[in-house]
Amino acid sequence: MQPAAVYTRDRCVTGIHGLDEILRGGIPYGSTVLASGTCGSGKTTVAMEFLVRGALAGEACAHFTATEPSVKLLENIRQFAFFDMNMVDTGLINVFDMDVLYSWLGLEKSSFDLDDVHALIKAIVDIVNTIGVTRLVIDSVTTLCYKIKSEQLIRDFLFTLGKKLSTLGCTTILVSEITSATENAHWSSFGVEEAIADGILVMGDVERMGHLLRFLQVVKMRGTSHSRAKHAIELTPIGVMLTPMLKWGAQSDKQGRWGA
Amino acid sequence: MFELDQRIAEQLTEVALNSAVQVRCGNSNAFMVTASTMVPLMQMFEMGGVYISGSRSAIEMIEAFETIGIDVSHIQFIDLVSSGVLGGTDVDRPNIHFVDSPIMLESILLRTLYLLRTTANERNFIILDSVNSLAIYNEDRMLAEYLHTFINTFRQREVLSVIINVPDQTSPLVLSNLDLYCTDLIDRGQVVIH
Repeated sequence: MQPAAVYTRDRCVTGIHGLDEILRGGIPYGSTVLASGTCGSGKTTVAMEFLVRGALAGEACAHFTATEPSVKLLENIRQFAFFDMNMVDTGLINVFDMDVLYSWLGLEKSSFDLDDVHALIKAIVDIVNTIGVTRLVIDSVTTLCYKIKSEQLIRDFLFTLGKKLSTLGCTTILVSEITSATENAHWSSFGVEEAIADGILVMGDVERMGHLLRFLQVVKMRGTSHSRAKHAIELTPIGVMLTPMLKWGAQSDKQGRWGA
Repeated sequence: MFELDQRIAEQLTEVALNSAVQVRCGNSNAFMVTASTMVPLMQMFEMGGVYISGSRSAIEMIEAFETIGIDVSHIQFIDLVSSGVLGGTDVDRPNIHFVDSPIMLESILLRTLYLLRTTANERNFIILDSVNSLAIYNEDRMLAEYLHTFINTFRQREVLSVIINVPDQTSPLVLSNLDLYCTDLIDRGQVVIH
């Protein structure tokens, strides 16, 4: 008897060494993936490599930055040996400062209401649609969501944005900062992001005898089977490199830094 | 006059490119055995490679090789020792790379893979010097797991791995695992002078 044919969703091949293997081929197209982690764990680097690899494959990519100026961000991407400034000049990589976007939309205020949130979603979706973006990063969604005071509104924002981007065939990484203050949320700052996202990559540090070892773990990815093991990562000029973390060394000396 | 052990070169002619070779030595002949292993790999087989320097600092090893007339400028060294000594990493050699501590086993593996991916050599070796230096910092079961991963990672990539070991100072668990995973054994145990 032949085994039943299994339907496989088309993948957005991240190009990140090891990650596509963990995801059995890549992120299912159109997914919204939360990249959550503590400071210095490599979230922005992973997200940037995702875009640069996309640009290398000829895809239009966009990065909305709320944590550092676009100029500084572009300086940091230059560490990648495979990055070429032509990617920016030819419009394959597009970097937008959220502050500029807020100003453009007249949203220079400390908190957003429903109309503001919808205006923001429309602006992002319009940019994606106009440029034909297939890979998008928002870094960080945490900073953005701090302006949205209601949990329900954050949920609506992420759900609506994710749905519209998915319809456009855009695979999205939402960078999420986890701090020790987030006692009730394991993978995200507000607790709602993780429920909305199609996938969750968690990044953090394992402390081993006074040394911090970066790790990445895929805890959720709808539409594909995947490894859920912790992987040690190194940030190198040829990109992020991963290897499975030693089983006897995967446990922190103390409790994990995220959610601790 | 420093003499290389030619029997090691003869034994190395028998090993396949994806082999994992356990090289047993003693405390007194460790450098001679290491040099006798590395020289034929570089000169006879024209291989490039990565030397994981856990017993002594990389600069000390490089200078020791240079003293006996061996040019190792095209070999990449991963130094596990110097970061533990303030000022130890202040060396001007482009082929020395530092890992913070021998406790960072996965980092050593990833740094090695990175160096292999960026090298122009078609055929490469990895020398792990030594199991005993890693055992100072890592528990037996973790070291055994690491050696299992290490050997299989490089076998899969057709990279020759050479693991230096002083067996009479290695725990039974690690030793039995090494015997199990390694495909070849070069035994140049301690020279005892009565």
